[in-house]
Amino acid sequence: MNRSGSTRHEGGRRRGILAPFSEGSPLLPYLYLLPHAVLFTVFILYPIGFGIYVSVHRWDILASHQPFAGLEFYKRLFDPSTLQFQFFWRTMLNTALFVGLSVPLLVFGALSMAMLVNRPIFGRGFFRAVFFMPNILAVSVVGLLWRWILDNQAGLVNVILSDAGLPKVDFITQQPWAWVSILVSTLWWTIGFNMVIYLAALQGIPSNYYEAADLEGASGWAKFRYITWPMLSPTTLFVVVTTVLASFQLFGQPYVITGGGPSRTTESVLMYITEEAFTNYQFSSASAMATLFGLIMLLFTIFQFRTMARDIGTGGK
Amino acid sequence: MGTEREGRARGGRLARRLRQAPRLALLVILALIFLAPVYWAVSTSLKPESDTVAMPPQWIPAHPTLENYRAVLNMPDANIWRWTFNSLFTATAYTVSYVGLSLFTAYPLARMHFKGRDAWFWFILFSMMIPGVMLLVPQYMMMIRFNWIDTYNALIWPGVPAVFGIFMLRQFFVTIPRDLEDAARIDGANSLQILRHVILPLSQPALVTLAVFSFMGSWNNYVWPLFVAHGNMLTLPVGITMFSSRYITAYGKLMAGTVIASLPVLVAFVFAQRFFVEGLTLTGLKE
Repeated sequence: MNRSGSTRHEGGRRRGILAPFSEGSPLLPYLYLLPHAVLFTVFILYPIGFGIYVSVHRWDILASHQPFAGLEFYKRLFDPSTLQFQFFWRTMLNTALFVGLSVPLLVFGALSMAMLVNRPIFGRGFFRAVFFMPNILAVSVVGLLWRWILDNQAGLVNVILSDAGLPKVDFITQQPWAWVSILVSTLWWTIGFNMVIYLAALQGIPSNYYEAADLEGASGWAKFRYITWPMLSPTTLFVVVTTVLASFQLFGQPYVITGGGPSRTTESVLMYITEEAFTNYQFSSASAMATLFGLIMLLFTIFQFRTMARDIGTGGK
Repeated sequence: MGTEREGRARGGRLARRLRQAPRLALLVILALIFLAPVYWAVSTSLKPESDTVAMPPQWIPAHPTLENYRAVLNMPDANIWRWTFNSLFTATAYTVSYVGLSLFTAYPLARMHFKGRDAWFWFILFSMMIPGVMLLVPQYMMMIRFNWIDTYNALIWPGVPAVFGIFMLRQFFVTIPRDLEDAARIDGANSLQILRHVILPLSQPALVTLAVFSFMGSWNNYVWPLFVAHGNMLTLPVGITMFSSRYITAYGKLMAGTVIASLPVLVAFVFAQRFFVEGLTLTGLKE
């Protein structure tokens, strides 16, 4: 701050293009916002409109004219005789199945782990770090790692099974094992993230609540049921919604581990949309699917948004 | 000072240790399960290909070798050095632009009064509700039109205006006491100087957290680079799945590839481990 006196004089002398930057200029805040506003318009606002525009036209990347198609590509998604209907809803169901299986495990598993490492114990920091560590890996790394461990023939799990005299399991190529593989790798990869969010919330529960309960001679379960669980309910809502949204966007695990197989049973809706767009070059059809899928996801995002809005309402933190 | 009290304290500690034993045992088992895949990957990468499928499994490589790493780093049609550079350059450029842009945008939204401020904040915040899948196809088509397929521009720019960083920094900035800013203003500081000398020093934890998470997010990004980059322009995590089709069963080499692709983030994690876990609470995500 010691040089601020001289800069004021310089600021006073500068005119011209720097004038809006001078203190008190009503344009100043807008100048700060301008660079982001430009990029935001180009890379977020415009693509939203463009995506919807493409979905109501018959887009051919090579043609010079893209004829209007109305709701044709949306209607296909509701016409059971089309391939798009079959694949979109089948992959949608696959994805919903994954959401239904993964979210309870990722929420309650994370809460249990957070409670295990919340109270002081030998090596607590180490355990927290170990459970969070897989989170920092790329999904491709996670996928290759588990594809190797669960390999039908030489994978570690199958080697251990056959050592124990048990039959080998086709984890990668047979249902329901293909889903088990995807679930296990997802749990390993992401559960630590939810655990850390729960840990922060557990730390925020005043300890005198538990002391009071101890005086009353409350059992461990009673303390969980009547103190911990209710105090965590905003956190649980947040964790559930973010996990649902993340699970809906399933892509890398099946893409790398099962390739969507066996016979497309682990293909997620995001895999199908990208296939329709980037392999089949059916941009209009893919855009219509993305828009419909986006609208379905929006139902969940609104919940997430409400929890965030409450945070902002209280002025942050 | 009484020995009796000390004795009781020691006895209490012992009793506590004993009560903790089941929980500790559970944690040790869990930790082993969490570490085993990483250990197995590293162990596999250090074995000659014939030993990777040896029966019974070799927990410790019987004939340790760096052959897999040499092979992977010298593959003729998969330039892993170039992919590593691509990932480092992309993640660094992205982090600098994203954190910088978020900083300059969050600052007036948190610390200045002007017409339309709250409306704009809510408007860009609403964009966080847009599922990424709705942007994927149109952004890809824009990359074609910009002639940006297989360029760093495509890997970096589309993610830069993401609103999360603005939200996080804004939430942090509003907690900084106004007196500090007023004092600087009386000294004649302009808004840039206040940003530089008041806001920045006080926001370091938030900024570093945001930088770490955006670097990792960019490094680990998968879906977008998978489609906009090919060949020499691939990023490392995408690249290693590309040669998985060629080494479909050569797991020693595949694991060497995954170890190389994870090394930068793993090293960062080991050194800043506390920071990662505790930094998450700073993101304002906790409730």
